[in-house]
Amino acid sequence: MRLPDSVTGSFLVALGAAAAYGGWILPPVPGQPVGPNVFPLVIGVGLALCGLAIVFGIGHSFEEEEELIPIEDGQAAAAPPPQNKLYSLRALLPPALLLFYVFAADRLGFIITAAVMVYVTSTALGAKWKLALPLAALSPFAIHLIFGKLLRVPLPAGLLPTPW
Amino acid sequence: MLKTLIDAFALISTWEVVIAMFAASVYGLVIGSLPGLSATMATALLVPVTFYLSPIAAIATIVAASSMAIFSGDIPGALLRIPGTPASAAYADEAYAMTRKGQAELALGAGVWFSAVGGIAGVLSLMILAPPLAEIALSFSTFEYFWLALLGLMCATLVARSSPVKAIAGMFIGLLVSCIGIENPGGVPRFTFGITDLFGGIEPIPALVGVFAVAQVMRAMLTPEPPPLPRRKFGSIMAGQWSLTRKYHWQMTRGNIVGIIIGVLPGAGADMAAWVSYAMSKRFSKEPQKFGTGHVEGLVEAGASNNASIASGWVPSLLFGIPGDTIAAIAIGVLYMKGLNPGPTLFTEKASSMYAIYLMFIIANILMIPLGIAMIRVAAYILLAPRSTVMPIIMLCCAVGSFAIGNNMFGVVTVAAFGVIGYVMEANGYPVAAMVLGIVMGTMVEQAFVTSLIKSDGSILPFFERPVAAILAAMAIGALLWPVMVWVWRKVKPAQTAAATSR
Repeated sequence: MRLPDSVTGSFLVALGAAAAYGGWILPPVPGQPVGPNVFPLVIGVGLALCGLAIVFGIGHSFEEEEELIPIEDGQAAAAPPPQNKLYSLRALLPPALLLFYVFAADRLGFIITAAVMVYVTSTALGAKWKLALPLAALSPFAIHLIFGKLLRVPLPAGLLPTPW
Repeated sequence: MLKTLIDAFALISTWEVVIAMFAASVYGLVIGSLPGLSATMATALLVPVTFYLSPIAAIATIVAASSMAIFSGDIPGALLRIPGTPASAAYADEAYAMTRKGQAELALGAGVWFSAVGGIAGVLSLMILAPPLAEIALSFSTFEYFWLALLGLMCATLVARSSPVKAIAGMFIGLLVSCIGIENPGGVPRFTFGITDLFGGIEPIPALVGVFAVAQVMRAMLTPEPPPLPRRKFGSIMAGQWSLTRKYHWQMTRGNIVGIIIGVLPGAGADMAAWVSYAMSKRFSKEPQKFGTGHVEGLVEAGASNNASIASGWVPSLLFGIPGDTIAAIAIGVLYMKGLNPGPTLFTEKASSMYAIYLMFIIANILMIPLGIAMIRVAAYILLAPRSTVMPIIMLCCAVGSFAIGNNMFGVVTVAAFGVIGYVMEANGYPVAAMVLGIVMGTMVEQAFVTSLIKSDGSILPFFERPVAAILAAMAIGALLWPVMVWVWRKVKPAQTAAATSR
């Protein structure tokens, strides 16, 4: 997900301009010179200026390159991750699962949705089904016990209500 | 004074507080020791639980968990060379070198002991600094608050270990996020795009959970699993710590002081304190050649420093609502939720609560010694837990916790969105701590800014008229110009040397 500075900088310029414009068109408070429009305007302009500076590489010399800890003897060398486009998309799995939770929890209920989330995350991190399956079966109940029962968070029951 | 102290004791000597503190300590030790789970993340995931606790018990959990997590990050650092929290990264190499020399006990013992000493020094600074500052702060007008907030934001960008321009951009993004909603000077829906859920604005806590927890799970998806901890038998852990204290008392004190100063600076927290103190220790050491080969001196200074910053980070948080570090940013959210709104009056009206906070910090740091020793002994078993079992649970806690904040699914969407934002920012060198500070302080900055503008009636003079305001303004502008000066200096210096050599 490392993008060139020109891309992120240009995005910030656009975001800043949009924010400044969005602030500009807000209705002012009658009889007062400053209202809700000033702050977004200032921030938008500032953000756009920062974006421009980043595009032109100002301040880049301050950035520290990430230090890679060399692997020592005795520590097993990890296999280098496969370098294809799809691999880096794995990072989007956690937010996707959270959105899945938002849409599915009310229909399927907390236990089933949570079990799916745990199973998928665990497998994606390399767990075998022998580990992932019991984890997915038990951890939703544990979390429900703590949050639903103890802390009284109204978790949706859905298709599979908990025994308590 | 004595009466408030007795009241404070009464506040904390309830079963709820005692149990909350003990449980949070164990939780903090475990989370801190697991590589990839930071102290900030531990604190952020605690917040939903604090809803259901009394105010003092809620603060107790945060105090205990954050102090413990900062120490226990040293454990995998020393044994595996993988820091458990970013705050231990500065000296993980050194501690690991000691372990390889067969001095694991000494390294870990120094971690526990000097963390506890540093933590207590931090509390003392909080007790000594906060009340007189509160006196001064009582006379602050919106102009002073505006400059103070600006100074806080600028400090956060200065200390970021990244490009200052990117840090300022991150801060602006945070401020922009805080613009969302109808809580603005005009009370009009701003940047809500007709979505009702956005009318209330973006809550800081789900945003923090997203940035610190979800983004971490996202990174875990792409990084290899850390190796398991080799099991070993430890000798006495505290042996030799007293002689170390006597030998390195000056280094320890310097570490404490540096940690306190960095903690008070907004946005700079334990990790920065550890880096600065370790570098300082090496710079001023009589035997700098020993650094990196398993020398305990840097460990003493940096360990004393990072824990000192935890308590002193609460000074600006309690006084002005300006977080001293990311953990304090979360603490501010909890303080507001519990009706302990930060401000100088907190020290006069809720003095017993303040004393209770001091006492809890002291107790947490004393408790750290026995619990920390126990943790070191069982760490090998806890670190056996593979990432593929820990991360799914973290995900569930993110979902349920963010839902619990408003009993609203929109919180979960916020967490997911900020997970992506935090991940992309971090990957591209934009410091997320600056954004977090912007989100937390945004409303306050805007209020101070707009009120000051209205009061000044278009003139710029009142911003500088009052003496304190003028000093703060000079400092804020200086902080803004500092990177520019460094940049110019760097440009001029090579040119000069080049000119000198060519002559």
